[in-house]
Amino acid sequence: MSSVKLENGVKLEKVVKCYGKLEVVHGIDLDVAEKEFVVLVGPSGCGKSTTLRMIAGLEDITDGTISIHDRVVSRVAPKDRDVAMVFQNYALYPHLKVFENIAFGLRIRKEPKDKIQSTVEEVSEILGLTPYLDRRPAELSGGQRQRVAMGRAIVRHPKVFLFDEPLSNLDAKLRTQMRAEIKQLHKRLGATSVYVTHDQVEAMTLADRIVVMNDGFIEQIGTPMELFVNPANTFVASFIGSPPMNQFPAIVKAISETSMQAMVNNTAFNLPDNPGVNDGQKVIIGIRPEHLTLTSAANAASIPITLNLVEPLGSEALLHAAIEEHPVIIKTETHGNIDHLNDVSTVYAPAELVSVFDADTGLALTGHRTT
Amino acid sequence: MINDPKKRHAVSDAPRKRSFKQKLSWFVDHVKNEWQIYLMLAPAIIWFIVFLYKPMYGLQIAFKDYSIFRGVAASPWVGWEHFQTLFGNDQFIRAFWNTIKISALNLLFGFPAPIILALMFNEIINATYKRFAQTIVYLPHFISSVIIAGIVTTAFSPTAGIVNTILEWFGYDSIYFLTKPEWFRPIFVGTGIWQEAGFGSIVFLAAIAGVNPSLYESAVVDGASRWQMMWKITLPCILPTILIMLIIRIGNIMEVSFEMIILLYQPATYVTADVVNTWVYRQGLQNGQYDVAAAAGLFNAVVAFVLVMVANTLSRRYMRTSLW
Repeated sequence: MSSVKLENGVKLEKVVKCYGKLEVVHGIDLDVAEKEFVVLVGPSGCGKSTTLRMIAGLEDITDGTISIHDRVVSRVAPKDRDVAMVFQNYALYPHLKVFENIAFGLRIRKEPKDKIQSTVEEVSEILGLTPYLDRRPAELSGGQRQRVAMGRAIVRHPKVFLFDEPLSNLDAKLRTQMRAEIKQLHKRLGATSVYVTHDQVEAMTLADRIVVMNDGFIEQIGTPMELFVNPANTFVASFIGSPPMNQFPAIVKAISETSMQAMVNNTAFNLPDNPGVNDGQKVIIGIRPEHLTLTSAANAASIPITLNLVEPLGSEALLHAAIEEHPVIIKTETHGNIDHLNDVSTVYAPAELVSVFDADTGLALTGHRTT
Repeated sequence: MINDPKKRHAVSDAPRKRSFKQKLSWFVDHVKNEWQIYLMLAPAIIWFIVFLYKPMYGLQIAFKDYSIFRGVAASPWVGWEHFQTLFGNDQFIRAFWNTIKISALNLLFGFPAPIILALMFNEIINATYKRFAQTIVYLPHFISSVIIAGIVTTAFSPTAGIVNTILEWFGYDSIYFLTKPEWFRPIFVGTGIWQEAGFGSIVFLAAIAGVNPSLYESAVVDGASRWQMMWKITLPCILPTILIMLIIRIGNIMEVSFEMIILLYQPATYVTADVVNTWVYRQGLQNGQYDVAAAAGLFNAVVAFVLVMVANTLSRRYMRTSLW
């Protein structure tokens, strides 16, 4: 698990959120350490934004406790929680210039004018907004607006930063650039941050730890590599990684006391040593597209595939194929040439990289692998 | 894709350099292709032509010695004579200033009323109570002016009116409000607010509904109170709508509620109640001076046109919002 020491950050204990009779967040527990960058990730409607809004105080909690820096804030007004939030659509005041947008929170708190002036100038300098202070939001690009939104959060020096999908309105190139800027900013400011996104690449690149949510439950909490290498269940396995992990229903076949195979119809996958399964047990096996390697049919452990499509991505290519009737994606390097990929008919799945999940519960059965 | 910037410029400029013949040809093609849209537009255009543009032909009688028997075309031209008559007529001058004063009061009190009402509705949290309150204040708009005038006359009646009854409870003498010139304008403006403020608030409520909710959430996290959010977010965000409505209102400044004045005024209150439209009505229809009445109407329209142009220009220049 993570080596991050948990202290004085944001703490959620058995937090429940209901809208009328509909429970959307089911008693989640989460510890965010001081200065840690935690990303809540999950599909639409999984409760990640609701959780963030409960931390901000924009949504009341139905049950449980939320603490910020060891102070219970479950019933405290948002303004008294010492948090700042960056919204998906920036939430910039269209009638105010950039300077006034950044200064808004300070003016509301009736800070002295000279302090407002110096703080806004300092923050603008950090974010590269100094030339735009006299402009209105409509006169800025998407990236600049996002910086202003972050400036408004930074200027108050809050204990906790909350980000609600702040990059989802930007194009792919700008998103990559802003992602790096947020990461650098976090390193510079060292503030506790909780970041919500549905983009697992954003989660992997930004997070100290990722919280994967689904249907109002936390599926797994861990560092990006922990989630990638040791997914706790089939949901996390399919959510983290791009393309997602290939999964096939299989039946375990014992070869010896310690050696097992998983049979996907008539195709055998070697399983890691001591996989924690029994002969004849129904399982789901998973292997990441980048862990399947191309091999010749002469290899005894080779797995036959039916190739349907080759998708070149430049340095890499995605091979869309089928093992038996199950779709599979293989990610391989092209070395500048994809012609040979059209002839691929077998692949190799290293036993130590095959994950095994319970067929009924979807929970991981393979032992913990080191990252 | 055109990579030569000169060629790109030429392409982008092309529509502006088309001849009239080309434009006409393009328009005919467009109508042929999009005839369904033009068909839907047709009733509105026909209405404008029949009821607003065709009557403009009759405006010329403002410059003619008009006789119904001779007709518009055969009546002799008299130049500015009717306008000289107008500006030499004390009753017209009085009606003009009354119009301005009543409109100014309407603008001062009647224009902000629906905005304030919309802001107040926006602050009501209980949805059921909000709907109930809105229905109550919208209702007077749907009552006929005649009935409204009846209600006002009854309410201010010196014998059984509720206002005088209340005054008498407090030991004051009853007042025959509708015969007192000094009371006409407050009663008229107040009635207008009572009848229209609720319905007028719909436009502003729609504008408020369009304000991005995350602006409020962001302000809440920053520590803004509801009062601060109203002043610093809601009002500035609906300002473009307010300005557009103000420009439209200024365009109608010479059009005070003619029906209501006719229903409420009487010779005793002409001194404060008689406006250009009621004067035109009396001169034109009751005294048969159609040409003088047309001159007054034209003067009214020119003043309104100038006002709306000035308001639009000022709004565009200083607030970056305008009707056109």
